[in-house]
Amino acid sequence: MENVRVVVVDDSPLSVSVISGILEDNGFQVVGSAGCLEEVKEVIAETRPNLVTMDMTMPGTDGLECTRAVHEIDRDIRVIVISSMMDEEIVSQAKRNRVSGYLQKPVDDEDLIAVVKRVMQAEELFGVLNSEFFDVFKDALRDGQNKLTKTLITYEEEYLCESEYTADGIAVMIGIIGEFPGKMLISLSNATAHVLTATVLRREPKNSEEIIETMAEFANIVAGNACSSLNKRNRAYGLRVAPPSVLSGENMKITPLNYPTYTAIGESVFGKILLNIGFKRGELDAWT
Amino acid sequence: MDVKHVTPFIVGFNTVIPPLGFKRIDKGQLQVKKRNFTGSGIIIIVGMVGQLKGNVVYVIGAEAAKKIASVMMNGKPVEALDDMAKSALGELANMLAAHAATAFSAMKMLIKISTPACFEGNDITVTMSASKVFGVQMLVDDMPIDVNISLEN
Repeated sequence: MENVRVVVVDDSPLSVSVISGILEDNGFQVVGSAGCLEEVKEVIAETRPNLVTMDMTMPGTDGLECTRAVHEIDRDIRVIVISSMMDEEIVSQAKRNRVSGYLQKPVDDEDLIAVVKRVMQAEELFGVLNSEFFDVFKDALRDGQNKLTKTLITYEEEYLCESEYTADGIAVMIGIIGEFPGKMLISLSNATAHVLTATVLRREPKNSEEIIETMAEFANIVAGNACSSLNKRNRAYGLRVAPPSVLSGENMKITPLNYPTYTAIGESVFGKILLNIGFKRGELDAWT
Repeated sequence: MDVKHVTPFIVGFNTVIPPLGFKRIDKGQLQVKKRNFTGSGIIIIVGMVGQLKGNVVYVIGAEAAKKIASVMMNGKPVEALDDMAKSALGELANMLAAHAATAFSAMKMLIKISTPACFEGNDITVTMSASKVFGVQMLVDDMPIDVNISLEN
């Protein structure tokens, strides 16, 4: 929890002073404050904090508009609302605007620090997951194929996938839940899926359904092993996989949605296998 | 999978859709479908894990998808299903599934959801994990969204 940089947004100098005092007494660095939308935009762009505490009612704006302005500058900045107003409707609106925690004024020192720590610990854990998951999934695909077919896979190309890509043949989607939700996609051509299935089954597949079944199970093994391996490294991930869904067709456009995913293109004796995987920050971290 | 497990997904629509600026929601006939079906347009899959596990697949035809994305983007005209429009639709599916999960929790069933995966294309065959799939068409201001649910214990 070192070097957490915070901006305090509140139109009342007294509140700014109280909240800043609590944070600084507990080792957090308050790098700025703002009391209206324009100041929020300016201070956030200038200081790029890790965390923002946000008042709900301010002259000419509100905490939700200011939260959206913060996230337009940087989606990864965490926002905790500290407001005298707190009812079901406003909390639900805050959740929809990607607020990570909500506290009611007058704020208690211990409550504020507990919520800040919970939000920032999740942030740290996400950073660790992000640094290790891609290699773990690549290893799981390589090991899975090796165990099932006694063949090797080498990764020719790896990249951060920020734009749409096209898949022809078969794409298996496996949803992942846990501390951070995510998904894994494996896509391959019909020809590659056919030979891979024949090798796994040690006979010609009877029909396309059997190929789809085999690819679903193959992807399930890869995702399951990768998630187990990540959970062994850190139990706090708590990752579990949803059953596979298989899409088949030509010219299927696959779009990454608002968060980065990573792609590795594996070259095997059966043909190319595309692995795409990504996790998203939990957005509703610390609700009191 | 029990037919009562469809209700939370309808609750999801009733909770999420009105605040987005849509005026009417109509529920079509509930169908029991085969585990594989074909769809065109936008297909969004969300994985679900908990006391039940499986997937929900939302299928929206291209024209309806453009109109729905436009409403979600505050009326901005959507001529083509670009990344921005698909992000809006992905977020819609995410919210629908999240609110379905909340409705399951009200039935004392804890279920968490994965991030959505978004596909676009014609005549895509979707094969779901469980042998039984419940399908229900929801009409949002007369624009159809097919909801396909496959959950098992």
